[in-house]
Amino acid sequence: MKNLLLKISILVTTGCIISGCQPEFTEPAIKKGNVDATVFVAIGDDFTAGYTDGALYFEGQKNSFPNLISMQFKLAGDSNFVQPLMNENSVGIGNSGKSKSVLGYATDCLGASSLKPIPYSSTGDLNALTINLFPTIGPFNNMGVPDLKLSELNKLAYGNSTLGNGNYNPFFSRMASDPQVTSVLDDATILFPTFFSFFAGTNDVLAYALKGAASNNITPSNGGAGIGFDGSLDNAITTLKSFGGNGVIGTIPDILDFPFFTTIPIDGLALDSASATLMNAIYGPIGMNFQIGKNYFTIEDTTQPFNVRTLKPGEFILLNIPLDSVKCFKLGSVYPIPNRYIITETEANEIRNAITTYNSIIQATAQQHNLAVADIHQFFKKLKAGFVYNGISLNSSFVSGGAFSLDGIHLNARGNALLANEFLKAINAKFGSNFPLIDATKYKGVTFP
Amino acid sequence: MMKILPSLFLTFCFLSDLMAQGFQVNLQGQKQQAMGSAACATIQDASSLFYNPGSTCFLPKNSIMAGVSTTFGRTAFQDSATNSISRTESPVGTPFTFYSAFAVKDSSSRMKMGIGIYTPFGSGIKWEDGWTGRFALTSIKLLSIFIQPTFSYRINDKIGIGAGFIFATGSVTLKKDIPVIDADGNYANATLQGSANGSGFNAGIYYKPNNKLSLGLSYRSQVNMNVDNGKAEFQVPSALAANFPNGAFSSSLPLPSVFTAGFALTLKEKFMIAGDINYVGWSAYKALEFDYEKNTPSLIDTHSERNYKNTFAFRAGVQYKKDEKIFLRGGLSYVITPVQPGYVTPETPDATRLNIAGGFSYIINKKIAVDASFTYQRLKRADTNLETQLSGTFKTFVYIPGFGLVYTL
Repeated sequence: MKNLLLKISILVTTGCIISGCQPEFTEPAIKKGNVDATVFVAIGDDFTAGYTDGALYFEGQKNSFPNLISMQFKLAGDSNFVQPLMNENSVGIGNSGKSKSVLGYATDCLGASSLKPIPYSSTGDLNALTINLFPTIGPFNNMGVPDLKLSELNKLAYGNSTLGNGNYNPFFSRMASDPQVTSVLDDATILFPTFFSFFAGTNDVLAYALKGAASNNITPSNGGAGIGFDGSLDNAITTLKSFGGNGVIGTIPDILDFPFFTTIPIDGLALDSASATLMNAIYGPIGMNFQIGKNYFTIEDTTQPFNVRTLKPGEFILLNIPLDSVKCFKLGSVYPIPNRYIITETEANEIRNAITTYNSIIQATAQQHNLAVADIHQFFKKLKAGFVYNGISLNSSFVSGGAFSLDGIHLNARGNALLANEFLKAINAKFGSNFPLIDATKYKGVTFP
Repeated sequence: MMKILPSLFLTFCFLSDLMAQGFQVNLQGQKQQAMGSAACATIQDASSLFYNPGSTCFLPKNSIMAGVSTTFGRTAFQDSATNSISRTESPVGTPFTFYSAFAVKDSSSRMKMGIGIYTPFGSGIKWEDGWTGRFALTSIKLLSIFIQPTFSYRINDKIGIGAGFIFATGSVTLKKDIPVIDADGNYANATLQGSANGSGFNAGIYYKPNNKLSLGLSYRSQVNMNVDNGKAEFQVPSALAANFPNGAFSSSLPLPSVFTAGFALTLKEKFMIAGDINYVGWSAYKALEFDYEKNTPSLIDTHSERNYKNTFAFRAGVQYKKDEKIFLRGGLSYVITPVQPGYVTPETPDATRLNIAGGFSYIINKKIAVDASFTYQRLKRADTNLETQLSGTFKTFVYIPGFGLVYTL
């Protein structure tokens, strides 16, 4: 009896230790619902392309949100997702010709070294923009084109370099089926998409905001295809739906929550006693007062007498302001900051009103065409407020926030995984599917030296 | 007789790590484990020093005993959003016990004294590399050893009382990853390590109204384990070294009080049944806090709500005396979790559970007997943690084969 019990106990225990007796889970079968992802095509701009750290480069493209979505679609069956990938070892190419940024040390005009985004290479991979990839690896499922505005979707010869700088999009030149002829929308239909994601329209305000609202324009809400937001959107969705597939559309984020606009504090003008005296000597006579300590920066404003005033709450300084000039050459104090680095309250209202109108157009169009709506606007608001994901605290702070890349506009890999999840959640809710979400802890945030 | 103790102290200094209710470990005697740990009113052996010091004085003989409960735990977690499954590597825990009880003068003496060394709380869990909850926890090792010198006094043939002072010592090692990555693609990580001390008492009353029935009450006090000079070490990219300075930290962990009421009933001489109810003062565990000596904007003191609630455990067991040499035992316990919804963590993926146990004793001769026990626990808990937002289902299997040796003098 004793031996029997002992044997049983040893047998059970050793058996369990060696062979398992592991806790098991049944993985729920994936339901596709009304999603036919045989041919999944993603239409959009920088966000869809996987543009990150100020450039288009291989790793960013691999982590583009539609590529991550396609990997979840693949769990339920075959679906090939072809992207116009950069070379794996390319330094990347940004829209101003620069390479991708990395975190590194840079010395400022005061001789102080600090950690900040620096170019990975002295120049971007300009070559990548001159080679058309369509004949070798096209057509493409990822039709995300950096800098694309929604109002440009049906613009013919959009990749035609002979039209000269500013009149064509070099990112489209490298992937278009015929850069001299086609539009992005034309090329998006080559594969007859059975399912599509549509996330465009951010650049219709962002391009303006990135110029400090000093140049470029906000796309008007109303107008025909190629002119207004509503006409362009309706034309694009009608075209994409003509193949009978379903789709998901994303709303436009409040771009003024991006670190590109929120990182430089508008009241970051620190004055010591001598500087405050100097500033009051210069600006006191026109009614501007400065104190020792924190002050609002001075800016150019042509609506003011003497074309100068201080910033006020609700206004923004752009991240591309030359900080050395601020630190060493009295920019923002004695010399007011030029308007191209500033979003004033009026401009901010203009931008936010446009986004609100765009989003109501998106909602109405989605309803009309029975699309799933991913509330990306809400996602970025949640990020701004800050949230925790599997023990990771995320918010929209620059570098330390954990979700934005080093350009302060686009997301890093982890942010893109969370963005992809927003689309997947909307798809599952609308179309009765249950594609699993992506484990965003498997995707990197910012890399530190 | 007491001279023998110091050497045995050292001999039995095993480590212990495993999980049980919260991080309570109910493995303080092989005979009792095999009966679902219903033991407050039974007089088995010197382990009564733990289960009810009031009953020790009724032990017929002096004895020394030692035991170890080898604990094999396996936990898996399925993320509810991604369906991905993560597993723990299974560190083997070896909670041990040592008890020695002696009559103060001769065997007819009313007073007995003894010492118990046991591991009432502990936890050991190591998650697989790169698991989805790595930023909440990668591994924890919590160890506590209670040393309890005890006096037990038989007031008359029916009533005994006893009490012991508890000197508690322990250690904790906790590791987690930090969500920043270096140029080689490695995540930063933090290791918090410290030793802790505390004190308390264990007291009980034993009442035996007749030959068949006995009743017991015992109370083990809460013991606050304070880590005063812990060591926090951070492996971070060099650019962030100043943000995460290595240095000291302090923390504390309350080990809760346990109030137990139990009975034992002998039936037809060969059978004994026993039942216990534990009331565990888990509500003392309100938060896990780490106070770092050097704070930076990246390294702030942490306050993680735990909000455990007081709970009950119900235990029942039966013993069958086959013959003079062999005793067979079986037991069940139903243990209610102190962990409330929203507070389940990968360090203690606790759940209300039913434990099944069995075992036997074999009396080799008048002096030596061996005990064996086997306990099986199975836990399942689905939760979304309010602090980390880790959401999914934890499943745990625990197998605890245990062996003990009793030497009767």
